[in-house]
Amino acid sequence: MDKIMQGRIKELIVRHPKVGDVLAEFGVACVTCAVGTCLLKDILEIHRLAPEDEQRMLTRIAEIVYPDRKVVVPLRKSEPQKKTGEPFHSPPLRKLVEEHALIKRVLARIPGMLRQMDLDTTEGRQLALASVDFIRSFADKCHHAKEEDILFKCFDGNLDIIKVMLDDHETGRAHVRAIRDAIERRDTAAAVKHLKGYRQLLTEHIRKEDEVLYPWMDRQLSDTEIGRLFSAFAAADAPMAETRRRSQEFISMLEQRFGDAERGPR
Amino acid sequence: MKEHAHNCPGSMMMDRRKDSDAAEAATGKVGSQLRQWPIQLHLIGPTAPYYQGADVLLVADCVAYALGGFHPEYLKGKAIAIACPKLDEGQDVYVEKIKAWFDDAKINTLTVMIMEVPCCMGLSALAERALAAAGRKVPVKRIVVGLDGEIRKEEWL
Repeated sequence: MDKIMQGRIKELIVRHPKVGDVLAEFGVACVTCAVGTCLLKDILEIHRLAPEDEQRMLTRIAEIVYPDRKVVVPLRKSEPQKKTGEPFHSPPLRKLVEEHALIKRVLARIPGMLRQMDLDTTEGRQLALASVDFIRSFADKCHHAKEEDILFKCFDGNLDIIKVMLDDHETGRAHVRAIRDAIERRDTAAAVKHLKGYRQLLTEHIRKEDEVLYPWMDRQLSDTEIGRLFSAFAAADAPMAETRRRSQEFISMLEQRFGDAERGPR
Repeated sequence: MKEHAHNCPGSMMMDRRKDSDAAEAATGKVGSQLRQWPIQLHLIGPTAPYYQGADVLLVADCVAYALGGFHPEYLKGKAIAIACPKLDEGQDVYVEKIKAWFDDAKINTLTVMIMEVPCCMGLSALAERALAAAGRKVPVKRIVVGLDGEIRKEEWL
């Protein structure tokens, strides 16, 4: 079992595809991860399933990997229940979750926006440019920058889960550059393709952070680190008041124009 | 555990001698983690050096008696003040002192530790009033301790 625990999850799934189904059944979405270099032991630590669920999941994985052997998986010792309401977010991480909520309101309106997108019109180009401005100024400079410059620096940068998140940020930036280029070329099809790609990427990225990464980080951070993070976030946000105001205006405009019916990712 | 009927859960008599006998007692000298004096909230100066930028515990009087590992697990590395929201008078002064921790001592975090009895929530309410009135915000955590010395709840407010 130790060999499985020390193995990279993608390699395990490639060799034993049914392992991916078992993980998905327990809410561990490694199959959809583009990187997959996390070790199974780290995945268990990050997801922190109930001890009984963890034991059942590992037993089934062992049955798939070693069909001829009987592997006994011990029950992890249960920690005292200290926290109520899952997922548990400390004030600085709660702030990031609140920013996610704003980003999700924009992501939810992208399908409606795409149906009417026409880069041959001035109005169409302005709307597309405003979307790029929101992504760059709020989602990237205000939100992702706090993660990259402050939060992630509290952790070992070699951790796979951090690398996966940074990869997502870079992929998102590549989509935004492609959207910007498409607007300049008035290539509506390319802009639609990359806005769809960005929406899909960010929807999954936010889910991973809200449900897996942030609760795991909260468990690792001491109260002292939580306090320092909170102050560092406040200092980083101080010069961003105008960006926040502009972003709120943009979201209100989108919601007024494309309605509430599109609240897919919310 | 024997319980006797009483109107108020905060002063209801409980006899836990059997439970306490069963619990494993730590042996050997346990070092104190207290690094300051005074500690009673009426007596402390909120801008004393040990509060500056500190992680501060605001602890209901009974907590340290109920919680076996209070010194090594909670007090270590932190500044402290104690109070009783049920019996202490002049609690508006408490609000002002807690507010001064946030605004003037620029504390890093505040952890309010209370017992699970209803009257103890008053201490948490004082901290929340002070936070609402303060110009500077910091993370505030509430830890609720059971009468059996177990942690009932731990949450950021």
